[in-house]
Amino acid sequence: MPQFFLNKRLILLLVSIIFLVALIGFSLKDRKELTWSEQFLKDTTGFVQFLFHKPAQLVAGFFENVQDMKNTYKENKLLKARLEEYVMLEAEVQTLKKENEELRAILNKKESLRDFISIQATVIGRNPDRWQETVIVNKGEQQGVKKDMAVITPAGLIGKIQLASQFTSTVQLLSAIDQQNRISAYVQGKEENVFGLIEGYDRKREALLLKQIPFDAKIEKKQLVLTSGLGGVFPKGLLIGEVEEVVPDEYGLTKMAYVKPAANFYDVDDVIIVKRKIDVQEEGETK
Amino acid sequence: MKKLFLPFLATLFFVSESLFVDLWPKNEWYQHYLFAPRFLLIFIIFITVYVAQTYGMVYGFILGMLYDVVYTEILGVYMFSFTLIAYMMAKVMKMFHNHLFVTCFLSMIAVSVLEGYVYGIQLLIGKTDMPLNQFYSYRLLPTLLVNALFLLFFSYPLKQQLLKIERYEREE
Repeated sequence: MPQFFLNKRLILLLVSIIFLVALIGFSLKDRKELTWSEQFLKDTTGFVQFLFHKPAQLVAGFFENVQDMKNTYKENKLLKARLEEYVMLEAEVQTLKKENEELRAILNKKESLRDFISIQATVIGRNPDRWQETVIVNKGEQQGVKKDMAVITPAGLIGKIQLASQFTSTVQLLSAIDQQNRISAYVQGKEENVFGLIEGYDRKREALLLKQIPFDAKIEKKQLVLTSGLGGVFPKGLLIGEVEEVVPDEYGLTKMAYVKPAANFYDVDDVIIVKRKIDVQEEGETK
Repeated sequence: MKKLFLPFLATLFFVSESLFVDLWPKNEWYQHYLFAPRFLLIFIIFITVYVAQTYGMVYGFILGMLYDVVYTEILGVYMFSFTLIAYMMAKVMKMFHNHLFVTCFLSMIAVSVLEGYVYGIQLLIGKTDMPLNQFYSYRLLPTLLVNALFLLFFSYPLKQQLLKIERYEREE
C-alpha cells in the first residue's frame, strides 16, 4: 500500500513539472498584453502595495532629508554661483525656441518626434528576487500607459514599460539583460550626430553599451548620448548619459562606446512615463 | 478577527520583501551584491512547521502564484517551488527534534536551495549569464547573510504568533 501512495505522489510531481514548463513557456512568449486574470491580481496587489509603500517611503524620506540638511550650506553656495549661468541659458533657450517655432511655421511642419505627453507615476514595488531589475508603478492602461513606452526621471532615461495592466505597470530598467532591449540613440557631436544602438549593460563598469557606431565616426569623451526617436515609440532627445570610453567592436568593423547613465537606475521613487505626441495624433486620425 | 490574522501576516510578508529592497539605501553594497530577501519563504516554512502542513502548502501555492504574477512575470517558478519546499519541510521535520534552532537552520538550507533552483531556471531561459562562482559570492552569500539576520531578529516572535494561531485553530 505505501508503494502505491509513493507512486501517486511521483505522478503528481511529474505532472506539476510538466505544468511548470508549460507555464514558463507561456510567459516567455513575446506577449503584447497580460491575461485578464493576471491584470486583476496585479491591480489588487498593487492597491495593497500602494497602501504600505506610501507611508514607508514618507518615513524613509524624512531620514533622507535630515541627512541632506548637513550638506545644505555647501550646496547652496554652489547653486548660487550657477544661478547666473542659468538665467543666461534660459534666455538663450527662449529665443531658440521661438525661432524654432517660427521656422516650423514657415515650413508648415507641425509635429515633431520631440514632443511628448508625460504621465507622472509613483513606484509602489520592486522585484525582490532581483534577477530582473524591475519596478512596479501606479499608472496603467486606464491612464494611457502602453507597452514599450519610455520611462524617465528628471535626470534621464531609466527604462521602458515591460507590460501594462489596467491600473499598474511594470518598468524594465535599462540595466536588465534582454536581447530585445535595443534603443536607437545618437551621440551629440559638434558638427554632426553619430547614430548607434544601446544594447546591453556592463555590470562591472556600470555603463550602457552603445554599439553599431560607424568606424570612422568621431566621438569624444563627455559627449552626450540621447534617444534618436527613430525606433519604436520613444520620443527624440531624452538624455541617456555621456560617453565614457570608445573601443573597437569585437569584430573590428564598428565601434562601441561605454555610456555612463545620467540617471541612477536604483534610486527611483517617482518616475515620468513618456508618450510621443506624434503617435497620439496618428491614433486620432485612424479613428 | 482571529481568523483573519494569518492572511494579514501573509500580506505583510508579501509586501515586506518589495519594501525591503525598495527602502534599502541604494549604496555601493546594494549595487554590487545581489542579495534577495526570502522572508516569504521563511514565513511559509514556519507555517508548515508550527501551524499545519496543509496550511503551509496552500499558502505556498497562493503566495508563490502572486509572487510570479506580480513581481517576476515568469509564471510557475515560485508557485511550484514554494509548495514543494513546504511539502519537503514537513517530511524532513518529522526526522528532527522540533526546536526553533533546527527550523531556522532548515530555513537557511531551503533559501539556498531556492536560490540555486531559480538561478538554474534563469540560466536555462537565458535571462542571465552569471557564472557559477559569481553567483556564489555576489548572490548566494549576501542573500544568506540578509536572511540569517532576519531569522535572528524575527524567528522567535514569528514562532510565538504562529503557535497562537495554531492553538486557536485546534480549539475550533
